[in-house]
Amino acid sequence: MLLRLWLKEVFALSKKNSSVLAKQHRAGWIYLAPAALLIVIMSFWPMIQAFLMSLKTGSSANMQWVEPIFYNYKRMFADKLFIRSVGNTFLYLIIQVPIMLVVAMLLAQMLNNKDLKFKGLFRTCVFLPCAMSLVSYSLIFKSMFATNGLINSVLLNLGLIEQNINFLGTTSTARMIIIIALVWRWTGYNMVFYLAGLQGIEYSVYEAAKIDGANAWQTFWRITVPLLKPTIVMTGIMSINGTLQLFDESVNLTSGGPANSTITMSHYIYQNSFGDFVANFGYASALSFVVFIMVAVLSAINLKVGDKRD
Amino acid sequence: MKKKLLSLVLVGAMSTAMLAGCGNSSAPAADSQTPAADTQAPAADTQAPAADTAASDNASAGGNTLSVYAWDPSFNILALKAAEADYKANVDDTFSLNIIEQSQSSDVEQAITLAGSSGDYSQLPDIVLFQDHWFQKYASDYPDAWLSVDDAEVDWNDFGAEKLSYSTVNGVHYGFPVDNGTVIMAYRVDVLEECGYTIDDMTGISWDDFIKIGEEVYAKTGKYLVSMDGDGNDLIYMMLQAEGGSQFKDGKPYITENADLVKVCEKIVEMSQKNVCYLANDWSDYTDQTIQGDMVAGVMNGNWIIPTIQNVPENSGKWEITSMPTLNGGEGYASNGGSSLYITSNCQNPDLAKKFLAYTFGGSTETYDAALRDGGVITCCISAGKSDVYNEGVEYFKNTPIYAQIVEMGSHVNVIEQNDAHYTARTHMAAAIMNAIQGADLMTELKTAEENINFAMGN
Repeated sequence: MLLRLWLKEVFALSKKNSSVLAKQHRAGWIYLAPAALLIVIMSFWPMIQAFLMSLKTGSSANMQWVEPIFYNYKRMFADKLFIRSVGNTFLYLIIQVPIMLVVAMLLAQMLNNKDLKFKGLFRTCVFLPCAMSLVSYSLIFKSMFATNGLINSVLLNLGLIEQNINFLGTTSTARMIIIIALVWRWTGYNMVFYLAGLQGIEYSVYEAAKIDGANAWQTFWRITVPLLKPTIVMTGIMSINGTLQLFDESVNLTSGGPANSTITMSHYIYQNSFGDFVANFGYASALSFVVFIMVAVLSAINLKVGDKRD
Repeated sequence: MKKKLLSLVLVGAMSTAMLAGCGNSSAPAADSQTPAADTQAPAADTQAPAADTAASDNASAGGNTLSVYAWDPSFNILALKAAEADYKANVDDTFSLNIIEQSQSSDVEQAITLAGSSGDYSQLPDIVLFQDHWFQKYASDYPDAWLSVDDAEVDWNDFGAEKLSYSTVNGVHYGFPVDNGTVIMAYRVDVLEECGYTIDDMTGISWDDFIKIGEEVYAKTGKYLVSMDGDGNDLIYMMLQAEGGSQFKDGKPYITENADLVKVCEKIVEMSQKNVCYLANDWSDYTDQTIQGDMVAGVMNGNWIIPTIQNVPENSGKWEITSMPTLNGGEGYASNGGSSLYITSNCQNPDLAKKFLAYTFGGSTETYDAALRDGGVITCCISAGKSDVYNEGVEYFKNTPIYAQIVEMGSHVNVIEQNDAHYTARTHMAAAIMNAIQGADLMTELKTAEENINFAMGN
């Protein structure tokens, strides 16, 4: 009802005015206004609120400005657990993102082969993990790698290990499992972007390369990768962004353990608001803003590096 | 011009209409914020009219109905139903209790956090069940969420002093105890027998004896003598309480200087390294794998762990309980977990709520007997614990009267200094223990933990 009235207004307005350009401009703005307003109110306003909150402290029922005003920001540099969570997150980032993107690209290249049979089936198989809920896949990985889980019994029965390994209870293996889980979950997702990118590369380019005697390896590095650059930059930004905000795996797969050695930044922020360090919303907001800045800076670097137009 | 204005108004109307559902509680419709709205279980089958009114507003609008948030349908909720039946039969047959089931205790905590943060308590029910260790923190963070029950007609001296210390703030009572967190040390007597020990050999021993026996048990049967969730390690708190000590002194962490605490931590590390204690990766690993998966010959935790033990029917008659070991030998007593009922500031009928809670959980044997029979909920009300039901033998535990035994043990628990930062301390101490087991120096780790707790508390 409201919407119909609204449209009526818009058309009535545009009929009256003389200049076509002005008419169009006005109509455009009117069309944009509701969405823009909603974005401002629901997205930007909370961000401003969160920033103000990050300068406050105390119980969320009665928050006070901190003294000095940037204390929450200063405080995190002395917070060993936060620094550890930053370290963990960057560890995942540095190891997982390159592995994932390279594997995704190779898979895309293979599945882009014109002569491949059952292409659709394979593509679906690789993409399928992305259709899975983050929580459920974390829980499945958790039960697979449990001390009495599937992986342990398989390894034990193959005679590869002598006694069950406590995968999730040991720092190094717990981190490794998070990385494996991430690669499993997100490779197919990135592959789809590469596949789309590959469709955009003219086949004649490859033919020309073939005539010039380039082998598959050279074709991949000299033709595919440079031509896919915009896609690579985009997936890179998305992966960095996603990894810095990693939450579900840390919470559900390892609960940040053992001894907080796999906790991520987002998990730590959650801990400060609803977890064991409950209702410390001021500090949690400050942490969120720092994560926001990190994502922005890393994405900017990525864009700059990727955007070398000669 | 007029139309332009009208269109602007319309824009405003559209956006506010969309926003109204999010923040303002006065909007009766889409209230996606309150956890109650979606978790609202088809409450108790007996009160259809009550459930209807609760859909729009959790607090009852007066009359003879009270609403309550609670979790665990096989434990706490059965106790509440017992109380409802008792009050209905003996005081007011028009009374009804609208139990709104929550999937876990943290849902109730988040409901309070949400109400407190927005300053709008109108979505809270009349009564909430709340975890004991969390209450002090929430009482100081959201003082406006609670109503004092000091003037209720209850003989507070009839309750275990340790239990009341959780629900009392500056000498003012806020809560009615429901269960009893007294720690039990349960053993598989058949396994002990195999190694040549009886339950009496395990009573009043020191942790060193415990470790010696534990090593033997592990060598002979491959079972650990005790287990715990490694990241939510309650062993430290329980073992220290049995010594009469606390991790806090005058409101500050008291760790590296605390000789008993250091010794307790040393023992836990030693037990884990010698395969006497198994630290699980998380809570479900602890309950499902170690206890129900038959990995252990002993369980030490608050007595609410009993239903978990009893989930394995083929082990019936193989368990018995006793008190905890201590550092220097002698019987140890502690308490861990448990919850109490609190009246919220949104309660529409505080007098009825107080009367109801005072009559039932304030010491009615009928309530407590039914709660025990149906849900295994053990009271910390001293007089109610003397009834016949408590003295019946329990088949699962070799027909020993474990409930009377637990109530008796509960009267010995030391009152120790409690602190808001209980769970913060637990997290950091658990991390210290984990690192020490993996080879780090315990004292350095404890020092880090102390710094971290101080840091988190803002000291």
